[in-house]
Amino acid sequence: MAADIEISGVTKVFGQGEAAFTALSGIDLTIRAGEFFTLLGPSGCGKTTLLRLIAGFEEPTAGRIRLDGADMTGLGPNRRPVNTVFQSYALFPHMTVAQNIGFGLRMLGRPRPEVESKVAEMLRLVRMESLAARRPAEISGGQQQRVALARALAPRPKVLLLDEPLSALDLKLRKEMQGELKRLQHETGITFVFVTHDQEEALTMSDRIAVMQAGRILQVGTPEEIYHAPADRFVADFIGETNFLTLAVASPPADGELTLRLPGGTTAAARVPPGFVAAPGDRVTTIIRPEQIELAEDAPAELAGRVEGDTFFGTDTHLHLRLEDGQAVVVRRQNRPGRPRPPQGATVGLRLAPGALRVLPE
Amino acid sequence: MARRGFRVERLPGSAAIAMLTFVLLYVPIVILVVFSFNAGASQAQWEGFSLEWYAAAFGNRQVQEVSIRSLWLAAVAAGIATVLAVFAALGTTRVGRFPGQTLIYALINQPLMVPEIVTGIALLILVAAVKVQTGYTGMGYLVLAHTAFCIPFAYLPVRARLETLDPALEAAAADLYAGPFQAFRHVTLPLLVPGIVAGFMLGFVISLDTVVITEFVKSAGQDTLPTYMLGQLRRTTTPEMNAIATLFLLLSVLIVTAFFILTRVRGR
Ligand SMILES: Nc1ncnc2c1ncn2[C@@H]1O[C@H](COP(=O)(O)OP(=O)(O)OP(=O)(O)O)[C@@H](O)[C@H]1O
Ligand SMILES: [Mg+2]
Repeated sequence: MAADIEISGVTKVFGQGEAAFTALSGIDLTIRAGEFFTLLGPSGCGKTTLLRLIAGFEEPTAGRIRLDGADMTGLGPNRRPVNTVFQSYALFPHMTVAQNIGFGLRMLGRPRPEVESKVAEMLRLVRMESLAARRPAEISGGQQQRVALARALAPRPKVLLLDEPLSALDLKLRKEMQGELKRLQHETGITFVFVTHDQEEALTMSDRIAVMQAGRILQVGTPEEIYHAPADRFVADFIGETNFLTLAVASPPADGELTLRLPGGTTAAARVPPGFVAAPGDRVTTIIRPEQIELAEDAPAELAGRVEGDTFFGTDTHLHLRLEDGQAVVVRRQNRPGRPRPPQGATVGLRLAPGALRVLPE
Repeated sequence: MARRGFRVERLPGSAAIAMLTFVLLYVPIVILVVFSFNAGASQAQWEGFSLEWYAAAFGNRQVQEVSIRSLWLAAVAAGIATVLAVFAALGTTRVGRFPGQTLIYALINQPLMVPEIVTGIALLILVAAVKVQTGYTGMGYLVLAHTAFCIPFAYLPVRARLETLDPALEAAAADLYAGPFQAFRHVTLPLLVPGIVAGFMLGFVISLDTVVITEFVKSAGQDTLPTYMLGQLRRTTTPEMNAIATLFLLLSVLIVTAFFILTRVRGR
């Protein structure tokens, strides 16, 4: 049913000569059958271009795309078992909801009774039975979204491509549709390739994520891997909030760890990427997430920081602190009753969660 | 509400000029229509209400004949022009930019730019030569001339419609297993219908209205309604002409109104 996608050495150059622009360069990626795979990256990094190559709207300048082992080169979008949910939905305005959903099956030449029963099944799946006879202009944005989804799923493609399908929806509807998408993917078992530039959406929905920047893939991994072990500074910065601290090495790496000297004199262990080399006294860049630092309260502190301000987020508060050596850190603190915010200018003791400090590969 | 800037209605005398413009535009037409109902034969003196000139017009075999020829010619020429215009519009908007695109636009829109009298004389010379060579004197010449003249009028609304179509719709059709022809047949063409109908109607009205080109191209006995009326007016003018002109006006107004309704309502 579902298929794996093998992308090897794919490069896409738009235009020629002076105006040539490399939108994708040397993409190697395998998307496994039946997984919820997300392409995540800032605007213009090439996410849509990669989707269009998989769908067959564009041909790669170099490299191959295989679907279940079969080379897709030269096959038009109408000859690939891949369907797309477009960012603008692209519903056919002159057809009803039901006709839109049945379009793919009709084009495949399926007999009428089969088309009708499949359409009914899809309408049920996306909970749109009562609106089957409406035109796209007569339904809401969220409903259009569901019709676009049903239309793309109806022919039972091996792969479903979704290009920022939720970006036009308001926050509440968006959360609802995120759940809906996960449910549909689970029920159909189809490989989903999902594009977003919203890192939170990527983290909550995906089995695996590819983080892209400027036409390249920087890291592929599970949400946990991407969040806790970012491959480089860009990924660390793009996914979630991160503190970057430059610290001096106290003892060289051993068993995937090394010891660093913190401002104020105490030392702390930090995990290092495989093969990382550093000598005592070298300065290295480390990362630690704001929620991995806590106020020491009564326990002994590893670090001290002066409060420079705070930002209230409802569930928690970000404290903006300045360390003794002048570096800035943000500490995320859950809001609880009877837990006063430290006043501005106060000096507070800090503790790092064990194992949370990581050295970034240079 | 404090709108600033240039406001033309504030200029002294602008209201008077506007009124005068409307008067000059419509008073002759009103007079024409009024005298079509005159009981007498005068174009200047009202002698009471009557429908006799309408009866005369409807009873006039020649008027019937030229009216039918006009409508037939307009339908055929606008029909062919619309089909060609659809192809031209697809060819100029669905293929990206190509060298010589502006030249192609200019060529398609040639009848809008070249004075009608020039086209008329050019056609006269060409048609006369072909007639001598082939001996053919049928309606073919008029059909060809009117078709060519109608193409830009049919082309513009079709192209306008095509340019506002979301290209993602055709991509979606292809994605859903439609081949190029199926995508055109099931998605592009139905969405073009308002533009096509508008183009046909514009072409139809233009063909109905064309005097100069018809005058130069027609063979004997191929008068259309406007050239017939012109011929009659050279001799005498009776209110029968007013009646015919009024009916003609009514037809044009109906078509143009339908055109506007269509482009407003369906053009969303
Ligand atoms: N047809 C094209 N011709 C030339 N350049 C193009 C074309 N399509 C895309 N590009 C360029 O390729 C780059 C990647 O575009 P793409 O649409 O894949 O970005 P994206 O990651 O989807 O961004 P967004 O999040 O804004 O949708 C952009 O710089 C874009 O300008
Ligand atoms: Mg995009």
